Amino acid sequence: MKKITELIKEKRLYFDGGTGTVLQSMGLPPGRSPELWNLEQPGKIISLHNAYFDAGCNIIKTNTFGVNRCKFANYRELIAAGIGCAKKAAQGREEAYVAYDVGPTGRLLEPLGDLSFDEAVSIFADNIKAAAGCGADLVLIETMNDSLETKAAVLAAKENCDLPVFVTNVYDASGKLMTGADPLAMIAMLEGLRVDALGMNCSLGPDKMLEIIGQFREYSSTPVIVNPNAGLPEVRDGRTVFNIDADEFSDYMVSLAESGACILGGCCGTTPEFIAKTIAKTRNLPYAYPEEKDITVVSSYTHGVVIGKDPVLIGERINPTGKSKLKAALRSGDLNYILNEAIRQSETGAHVLDVNVGLPEIDETAMMLRCVSAIQSVSDLPLQIDSTKAETLEASLRMYNGKAFVNSVNGTEDSMNAVLPVVQKYGGVLIALTIDESGIPDNAADRVRVAQRIIERASEYGIKKKDIVVDPLALTISSNPESAAITLEAVRRLGELGIKTSLGISNISFGLPKRELITATFYANALQCGLNCAIMNPFSEVMMNTYYTYRALHGLDKGCTDYIAYASAEGAEPEKKPAADNVSLHSSIVKGLKDQAVSCAASLLNDTQPLDVINLHIVPALNEIGEAFEKKKAYLPQLLMSAEAASAAFEEVKKRIPADKTDKSKAIVLATVKGDIHDIGKNIVKVLMESYGFTVYDLGRDVPPERVLACALENNCKLVGLSALMTTTVPAMAETIELLKKHDPDFTAMVGGAVLNQEYADMIGADYYGADAMDSVRFAQRYYGAAE
Amino acid sequence: MTYSDIKIITASPDDFEINRNELAQRLRCDRNSQIVLPESCTAAFNSAVRYKCAYIRTSVELNEYICDFGFMKIPSRDLYRNLTGCSEAFVMAFTTGIAVDRLLARLNITSQAEHFITDALSSAAIESFCDYACRIIRENTGCVPRFSPGYGDLDITFQEPLLSRLSARETLGITLNSAFLMTPVKSITAIMGIKKQEGRT
Repeated sequence: MKKITELIKEKRLYFDGGTGTVLQSMGLPPGRSPELWNLEQPGKIISLHNAYFDAGCNIIKTNTFGVNRCKFANYRELIAAGIGCAKKAAQGREEAYVAYDVGPTGRLLEPLGDLSFDEAVSIFADNIKAAAGCGADLVLIETMNDSLETKAAVLAAKENCDLPVFVTNVYDASGKLMTGADPLAMIAMLEGLRVDALGMNCSLGPDKMLEIIGQFREYSSTPVIVNPNAGLPEVRDGRTVFNIDADEFSDYMVSLAESGACILGGCCGTTPEFIAKTIAKTRNLPYAYPEEKDITVVSSYTHGVVIGKDPVLIGERINPTGKSKLKAALRSGDLNYILNEAIRQSETGAHVLDVNVGLPEIDETAMMLRCVSAIQSVSDLPLQIDSTKAETLEASLRMYNGKAFVNSVNGTEDSMNAVLPVVQKYGGVLIALTIDESGIPDNAADRVRVAQRIIERASEYGIKKKDIVVDPLALTISSNPESAAITLEAVRRLGELGIKTSLGISNISFGLPKRELITATFYANALQCGLNCAIMNPFSEVMMNTYYTYRALHGLDKGCTDYIAYASAEGAEPEKKPAADNVSLHSSIVKGLKDQAVSCAASLLNDTQPLDVINLHIVPALNEIGEAFEKKKAYLPQLLMSAEAASAAFEEVKKRIPADKTDKSKAIVLATVKGDIHDIGKNIVKVLMESYGFTVYDLGRDVPPERVLACALENNCKLVGLSALMTTTVPAMAETIELLKKHDPDFTAMVGGAVLNQEYADMIGADYYGADAMDSVRFAQRYYGAAE
Repeated sequence: MTYSDIKIITASPDDFEINRNELAQRLRCDRNSQIVLPESCTAAFNSAVRYKCAYIRTSVELNEYICDFGFMKIPSRDLYRNLTGCSEAFVMAFTTGIAVDRLLARLNITSQAEHFITDALSSAAIESFCDYACRIIRENTGCVPRFSPGYGDLDITFQEPLLSRLSARETLGITLNSAFLMTPVKSITAIMGIKKQEGRT
């Protein structure tokens, strides 16, 4: 029998329809797992498959959808029996294929859920290993409503068998997966992983899938599968039925076939009749295998970004080169700083975020994995994984949720041998630097030649030209006045050859004063030469001015709407906005207006000493809202908003105080104790403490006693605040206090949290019980004798 | 996968009012205090939230403090008391959707104040959505107050068979973690008994 991946090139193929629907009609009780029948009632399972083959379909799904090691101890037996039933039905038939059916684990992956990516791969891998050798013709990964879980299943299949891999996802009426991915994002990721067919199943009827199929036709170079439900379930005369019958269903399937679906079948509510009618109506329709789409796409877990005529901005702020705060954050493992940079860049208009965490003294791979996962929990932009180490690229690309930009490969043999296999396996759009063993060519023609050699070598790994974006390297004009012209010429020539380009724009001005002036003009010139992507600073006003004006001038911004929105927006940097005359720092803080508080602080600092701004303006305002809170004239939300406004103003003041004069003597270590993951209370205390100028060493939640002690010792901080929300974690609090006191009786432990009271606090040896956040601040002030 | 007897209710933020007392309590304010939330918090929440409920109507047999729903048997004195006088019940799950989790994760980084407020708003909102959806589900039947795993002696582990019966992963996008807590975090499961005499239709 021909391999299914060959047959699909010649003709339209047909999947079977619903399994549960038919088995229930054969007597399967509601709530009973259908897979148990593989062992208990194999005859009925075989007759189900026979009914579908007799209806004319080519591919049947094994009755193994819900089987995995988490749900069934005898999963191996159930899988083998399921494939065995299907094989028996297929025996002796022409063009009859058995798809080993894999459904979701039922759990959600990190960072939103608690199933790790590696664990998910391992669960699916056990399934595939159990199925390998049982005689299936392909693997069908179906009904997946999360992109990362889909990726875990595909990798497990690819790593544990040689069978073709087909994937169908569940889209809702808005055309997205439950966790947010649209068809373009899924196509980009799945084609990167080299699946053999992809598409949609379940949840929607064929009518709704017709609304989505256009996106598959536009973006997919891979055969598209459509396995809809028989519409939506309805109760009629006390019976539950689906609202689309076999005739209507098959009419819609004609439209789906005409819209480019290559493999047709059914899901919930469909029966052999649905499939037989679909085949009868579509068998003789013209068939076309999808053409190769020349589209370059990077994706996240929600959407794809197309690299083409419209310039793409790659935010460069998460790269430690020349950024002392980021370096410090990386060394201390402070992800909050990095996540803030990610969110701010997303908000200022970056389309992709570059992530480079390379510092000699840290474990780059471990840090990259932490950062990629954490950034993907707060930003939906595609990421550019930026590292010189192939192992860092590989580890990150493996668990990245989407199809990433990969920065980078160059024309040296070492680099190509290390990086190309990684991209071959995991997919990605590769940034290719025009440098080889001889260094960086000093002319455009040779840089183009290096690029072409990389593209040629990549093709040997099956990496397509469209998945390579060439960076012909911007080098500073301060050392070579010709360098801009060479780079621009290379960009132009590459564009003429249909090769996409990217530049690390700001390098051009290295070593010169007022760098942004040079950088922005160079950026405009590069765009004019056809540059597709720029790794740049999205916080730079002149760069963003160039971006928006270029798009408006080149017909890329219909009606100039983006430009008008950008130009009409208030200044992005709040400190540049003049403070209104009648608004004071004091009132801004009391009202909790953060941006206004920053503006007011900036204005005040023009003629007021920094310490006076703190002592005469910020602290009195905080005291006012604090007292109102204590008298129940203000509530926690107001107190928090005021505290954040005060903190923002305080940060503004700190910019004017030399670093070595910053007062770190008033400090506190804060932690939510081991076993407790509720940190809202602790975070509230942190905000308030910071607004009063305390240095806070925040250890986060679920913190073991040893880490609390280590942090307190390292920072020579004797005041420790511990929080617990659950009664079950109060013993961990007692343990932490005991450890601290044992080490040094001078440690002072302040405790708080919903389950605590004075009695409890006394019992576990705490020095102070903070009834609420304000109370904690008052104690800290008394502790440092600074309630001035 | 089959979920042919499961019904779905969706709602938008305009469909019902969030209970002000509930919100005040979550914000740790006095019950009747005038709460004005920052516009940025309500706008971000409203654009993220996708209220959805899935439910079935099923029979329940009560016997010696065991409540037997056919697909799950729950030993619970408190639920038993709650369902006394009922031979049927609605089994339900409700959620705000996963985008609210993502919003809260982002605010946890950018602003603790907005995080606290939006978290409280989300909690009050899902409770109010439950009330709204229960009014629709109840229709003309007489029902006892809804009861959730975690109340009294009703163990939260029963969220597993309950969610499984509702195909909650597929219908609502709800999954359980190893500690039987739900994602999206602002999700609720509940059982609402139908009183015998009024329950007959």
